[in-house]
Amino acid sequence: MAFGEWMSESKKYIIGILVVGAVLAIIPFATSFDQYTILLLATALIYGIFVVAWNIIGGYAGQLDLGAFAYIALGGIVASQLMIVYGITPWIGMFLGAAASAGLAIIIGIPTFRFGIREVWYALLSAALVVIMNNIFHMPQVLGSLDHYLPSVSGWFYLEFPTYENIYWFVTVALMFVMLINLMISHSKVGYYLRAIREDELVAEALGIDVRKYKLVALATYASILGFMGYVYVVLQGTFSYHTFNAPESIGIAIMGIIGGLGSIAGTLVSGFSLKLIGDYLRGSLGATIPGLNLLIYGLLLVIIGIFEPDGFAGIYRKYFHKEKSASKVSKK
Amino acid sequence: MDPILVTNNLIDGVLMGMLYSLVALGLALIFGVMDIINFPHGDYVMIAAYISWLIAMAFWVDPSVTALLTVPLFFLFGVAIYKSVIHPILGAEPLIQIAVTVGLGYVLENIALAIWHAEPKSFPAPWFNFGLNFGGLSISVAKLIAATVSVISLYLTHWLLTKTKFGLAMRATSANRLIAPLMGIDVEKVYSVTFGLGIALTALGASLYMMWAQTNPYLGSSFSLLAWVIVAMGGLGGVVGVIYSGLIVGVLEALGNTFISPSARLAVIYLAFFLVLWFRPRGLFAKR
Repeated sequence: MAFGEWMSESKKYIIGILVVGAVLAIIPFATSFDQYTILLLATALIYGIFVVAWNIIGGYAGQLDLGAFAYIALGGIVASQLMIVYGITPWIGMFLGAAASAGLAIIIGIPTFRFGIREVWYALLSAALVVIMNNIFHMPQVLGSLDHYLPSVSGWFYLEFPTYENIYWFVTVALMFVMLINLMISHSKVGYYLRAIREDELVAEALGIDVRKYKLVALATYASILGFMGYVYVVLQGTFSYHTFNAPESIGIAIMGIIGGLGSIAGTLVSGFSLKLIGDYLRGSLGATIPGLNLLIYGLLLVIIGIFEPDGFAGIYRKYFHKEKSASKVSKK
Repeated sequence: MDPILVTNNLIDGVLMGMLYSLVALGLALIFGVMDIINFPHGDYVMIAAYISWLIAMAFWVDPSVTALLTVPLFFLFGVAIYKSVIHPILGAEPLIQIAVTVGLGYVLENIALAIWHAEPKSFPAPWFNFGLNFGGLSISVAKLIAATVSVISLYLTHWLLTKTKFGLAMRATSANRLIAPLMGIDVEKVYSVTFGLGIALTALGASLYMMWAQTNPYLGSSFSLLAWVIVAMGGLGGVVGVIYSGLIVGVLEALGNTFISPSARLAVIYLAFFLVLWFRPRGLFAKR
């Protein structure tokens, strides 16, 4: 691909990201600042971020990570505790939270990739990581079994507000950054290496790609994005505890990623945002009569998509709207 | 630390380990013979535990007796799941297999949540939920029965695999699924029976477990991870490897319970799992 062509290609995507950001930014006005709706949307958007970030490890690198909330909760708890105990602003705390999550990812990632753990074993290991972190933070010396609350302060210094629209806009901007990071990875050398690793690790290695290094880069990038957003997640939840290390929800992130379509930024965003939104809406309206209906729907969708359309939403979109461009079919030989 | 308490917990761990082995054996069979990643294996335990509870409540019998019904029922359930969901993903890439089976697990878990809600269910009048005392030591009769039945079932499966013609067909399919049909083996039949058997074993485990425990929609995930840890440690080294790994997991759980805290027991097992994966990726008892 010529450089000029790349520029025009990425310009198209950047305009796309700006349009998505602008549309999302207007929505609170359209809801006439209904707080329940804005909280619902902000939560769905932050799930969009989680799933788009998951796309880096799951979609590009092909590692089925089931440990999202190990990183989200660690980053969130680090930033929250720094604020509660030392009064450090989350603007610094979030970066330290991101660093903590990236550190955890590197500690786990080095031996895991060194010893060639992949496929189901990687999935199990990442799922077990959430439970281990949950158990560690449950110990009385760490968080104990109590729920912890953020102090009731407000202002940009604490990223806490009496109403939800500011945090919603913050999440929108963060989403645009995360999409940009994804785009940069996907169009860079790293992105091509990662996709080569996903298609066939042995061939990638034979071509001279440092498989371990690039998998670790993908894992650490994913973990630091999640760790960074952890504090915002805590703000939206209003509370944190060892329960924030939530194993079923971590599997949910991966499920949304697969349903969206591996390697597709738009697909994972739409899937994360819409499934969380529909799920929470159903839980709000039918939760009392049929608990778990939202998750039941995710499960059914996943089974159907896995069997009939392994490329997810992105594959369906390509099939019906862009018949000439079936990129994933080419990459799958 | 009180030595009697420690011994008590260790005995408990050994007995629980046998039950875990029973559940993990079904997973090992499915993974070993069919090369299918049945990720949420524990969710079948959870559903079976509810069915066992329902039957126990309806006939007012101990949940252990309900195994007479749940085991054949879940054999058929397993065959049905195989025909409808597993067959299309035979030979698919691991990520798709995990995705589809995880989706299925989500469906099972949330059907349970929708029907029975989140409060735990247990049979209120169990027959065997009492302890035998030996000079301060107290051994749960229910767990003793569960472990005994588990060991017998493990032995029977071992016998099936090594001494019968069908077991030979299973092992042949496991060794090479392309050549097996050329030897006159009906691979399709081997697969559906293997999956049915694997799921039937979870039902037996669940009925035994319900003798003293309670079920809730989230019971499945801990059983799934435990079963996978046992399979990872056993390294597909046959029934014997599964039994030893089950013992190790049961004892580790007891040690974590005793020396750290009951809420850290899973962390101890999973840390051991990390170490096994990192340093003995073929398992502790693999034959190769």
